[in-house]
Amino acid sequence: MPSYGRCAYMTDEEIPMVQLSESLEDYMETIFELVRDNKLARIKDIAKARDVRSASVIPAMRRLSEMGLITYEKREYIDLTPAGERVARRVYARHRLLTRFFRDILGIPNEFAQKDACALEHSLSDVGMDYIVRFFEFIQSCPEGGDVISRLQSCALVNSDKKQCTGGCTVQRNERQVIAEQMKSLREMKPGQSCNVVRISGTGAIRQRILDMGLMPGINIYVERLSPAGDPMWIKFQGSQLSLRLKEAQMVLVEPEVK
Amino acid sequence: MNTTKSRENNILKVALAGSPNCGKTSLFNGLTGSRQHVGNYAGVTVESRNGYYTYNGERVEVRDLPGSYSLSSFSPEEMIAQQELVDARPDVVVVVVDSTALKRSLVLLAQVMQNSRKIVLCLNMSDEAKKSGQRIDLELLAKLLGFPVVETVGHRQQGLDALKEKIAEVAQKDGIKSRLMLGERLESAIEHVVDALSKTSVPEDAREWYAVKILQDDHLFVTRVLERGKPGRDALEVAKKERATIEAFTGEDVALYVTERYYGFVDGLLREVVVQVSHIDTRIQSDRIDAIVVHRVLGIPIFLLVMYAIFWLTFTVGAYPMDWIDQLFGLMADAIVTYWPNDKAMDIQSLLVDGIIGGVGGVLVFLPNIVLLFLGLAILQDSGYMSRAAFLTDRLMHRFGLHGRSFIPLVTGFGCTIPGIMATRTMENERDRLATMLVLPLMSCGARLPIWMLLIPAFFAPPLHAPMLFAIYFIGIFLAFILALILRNTVLKGEEAPFVMELPPYRLPTWRSVVSRMMLSSWLYLKKAGTMILGISVIMWALTTYPKYTASPAQETNAAASVDLASAGSNDNAQSFRQLEHSVAGRIGKAIEPLIAPLGFDWKIGVATIGAFTAKEVFVSQLGVIYALGDPGETGEDTLRESLARDYSPLIGFSLMLFLLIATPCMATIAITRKESGSWKWPALQFFGLTAIAYVLSLLVFQIGSLLGL
Repeated sequence: MPSYGRCAYMTDEEIPMVQLSESLEDYMETIFELVRDNKLARIKDIAKARDVRSASVIPAMRRLSEMGLITYEKREYIDLTPAGERVARRVYARHRLLTRFFRDILGIPNEFAQKDACALEHSLSDVGMDYIVRFFEFIQSCPEGGDVISRLQSCALVNSDKKQCTGGCTVQRNERQVIAEQMKSLREMKPGQSCNVVRISGTGAIRQRILDMGLMPGINIYVERLSPAGDPMWIKFQGSQLSLRLKEAQMVLVEPEVK
Repeated sequence: MNTTKSRENNILKVALAGSPNCGKTSLFNGLTGSRQHVGNYAGVTVESRNGYYTYNGERVEVRDLPGSYSLSSFSPEEMIAQQELVDARPDVVVVVVDSTALKRSLVLLAQVMQNSRKIVLCLNMSDEAKKSGQRIDLELLAKLLGFPVVETVGHRQQGLDALKEKIAEVAQKDGIKSRLMLGERLESAIEHVVDALSKTSVPEDAREWYAVKILQDDHLFVTRVLERGKPGRDALEVAKKERATIEAFTGEDVALYVTERYYGFVDGLLREVVVQVSHIDTRIQSDRIDAIVVHRVLGIPIFLLVMYAIFWLTFTVGAYPMDWIDQLFGLMADAIVTYWPNDKAMDIQSLLVDGIIGGVGGVLVFLPNIVLLFLGLAILQDSGYMSRAAFLTDRLMHRFGLHGRSFIPLVTGFGCTIPGIMATRTMENERDRLATMLVLPLMSCGARLPIWMLLIPAFFAPPLHAPMLFAIYFIGIFLAFILALILRNTVLKGEEAPFVMELPPYRLPTWRSVVSRMMLSSWLYLKKAGTMILGISVIMWALTTYPKYTASPAQETNAAASVDLASAGSNDNAQSFRQLEHSVAGRIGKAIEPLIAPLGFDWKIGVATIGAFTAKEVFVSQLGVIYALGDPGETGEDTLRESLARDYSPLIGFSLMLFLLIATPCMATIAITRKESGSWKWPALQFFGLTAIAYVLSLLVFQIGSLLGL
């Protein structure tokens, strides 16, 4: 089931169960951003970022420090504890996700998207969040997902003054569908076909070896042949020739070249 | 620190680093000539190669690191290359790259720049790169990198003097600061981790590498840092945070990001220094050859033809010199017997003739096979066909947990297990290699053929001869595959080695390189396995000779014994039978009779089987001795067959063949497995494991067969 664990900004580690108030969550987020960008956070910076007085930051820092989420000594830099980092990351991830949802999917202008994300990130329940994550994943993994979004954004019915369906999307749709359907693994490529590497999935030694051999996103591959037994595969790219088992080729996600 | 120490001894330590197929080994051979020592890294099958040369009166020690595409902790080769650079800290590192594939090969250079300060970049195979039209501004490249760049052609020994000169030059100077550029984000992350590591006991010049590795969560280095207490844990914490930051920023994992940054550096560098990119496709011919050689239909027949050629070269051509060696040693033995002063020190005569000459002969007799096989393999490897063969056979091999490269060694095993085991050197993965070595004795070798030739006609009717022979070979192959599968899922369990393999263009092998490879393997065989085989031969001789049998135990003087011999003159064969029965081997044979009785065997078979440990074909001559027939010649064999058919049932015959096929590989196999695996553990497993399997299978066959009334 989709969960935060699959979100790009989350780690697999367990997130400490702490109940934070809205403002404390905001503080955690600010500290996370400051630590990430400047390697350290000072009371002054936090106050500036949140647009409050330094004096009002201090009690909040004490609270967070008591909860074991940050390290805070008087007149010293503030840093996140490992637990704190996970909490902050979670808050931050919610923020990022909501912003992207509003901006990239619904098409809300960035400024409003940011504001609304800030407002919603605290009040949205975990369950509600989970459903948004699912929708996100659906849009990203469904071959037609991207298609739906771009059709929404270019739809004359809702976006123009004329409020009239021009049917223009169905023409484009066919074209896009071709591309979306063609996102495949290298394994599915036939001898004689060319494709571009989009991503190398998987982990460990095999993935590292694939990367070491120069198979990186963006590289153009030509499938030369298969072994007479049907496996392994023989590919050409950038003047090199390589063989790899189909199992390994499956880790290489590609976009076939349209002739 | 290391530098000053070795400078005092006037020995310069140089390491050659480079990817597989970059021509590093021929460069190494060119540098050191025959002044090299080849061994194994402790406990692993990875070969270690050390050599030296003198330059301007100074001794320079060269170490050829295992070929690896990058320095990581995934495969033993990569791990050792990494350890040699980071822990052993050579004075100068020569990074050898394939000029025709600069982009990929230079990534290793980028990594070396993170752990070494005195580097010489060696653009090998520069002739091929030039032929393709590639032009590089060498001066600019050296300037941008901050260390010398040399062009070489390893297999033609070109550019070696320049290389030696630059090595000496770099060794004199102080190490320069690395000019590696990986982008601000990664560099600052590395810097922060290095800062944190400065509080630990990680040596200063290794910190950058440690930082890069713990950023990537490399288990080997994480463990090493963890061992350094609190500061180490702090450093890991810093690394973790930096990793999270990079991942949050880039949306990529660090492994990909770091590799991308290496490529970024290489790309930038090449954009500056490549004056003209290669635009002539030098692979056209190679591709044309491939179109036929790995063709969908023709590929397999061509492969089988090549295998047959190798087999023919090794065993058919090799049979002639083998005969000569045999005869030569026979002549020597005869000469000794003839000119030996009568009845003086007969024990020493016997030791010389049967023990030492027999033993040395036993070692040398394999030499033609090994020389010729390695001649063939060197040609296959240097020409580039070896990777094509792996490409063709991988599917089949992989199904049984083996690798495409297992095929050739296994097939070689049909001729002789020893060269087969040595041929596993072409395999890069440790576990695949061990699995192949361990099951290799199951390929019914040439020395077992005389056994089948004796036993099959003895027990089976003529129409069954061919099917029985086929069955024996097939059972061996079948068991080897099953066993390999079991091994890879138990003792040799582990992540599969990637098959992601480079297919270099075909190259015409040079004689120099082929011959030097061939000589080296032969020398290794003689030195390492030879001494051990000789030792075991002498022991086996002692086991079958002592205690001495004398007709009348009361008379123990030599004179008396010779009188006895003379009186028994007409009955020499009976004499040697009684001697064998009386010897330790005979006694062991009798002692184990209860143990082997459930298999249908008696003590005679027991003794012959013990003798077969020296060499499988000895089984036949031992049986000859036991049946008091002497060495069975052309006519003797038939009589021996009759005796066997009289004493044993066909069921016992089959049980015996099964046992001889599977059990106790010969001593040479054990010796070579010990040598190649770098540990006694594997030959022990091979010896006891195979014998146990043989015992169980023969037991089942004989017992079930008996129940069925066969």
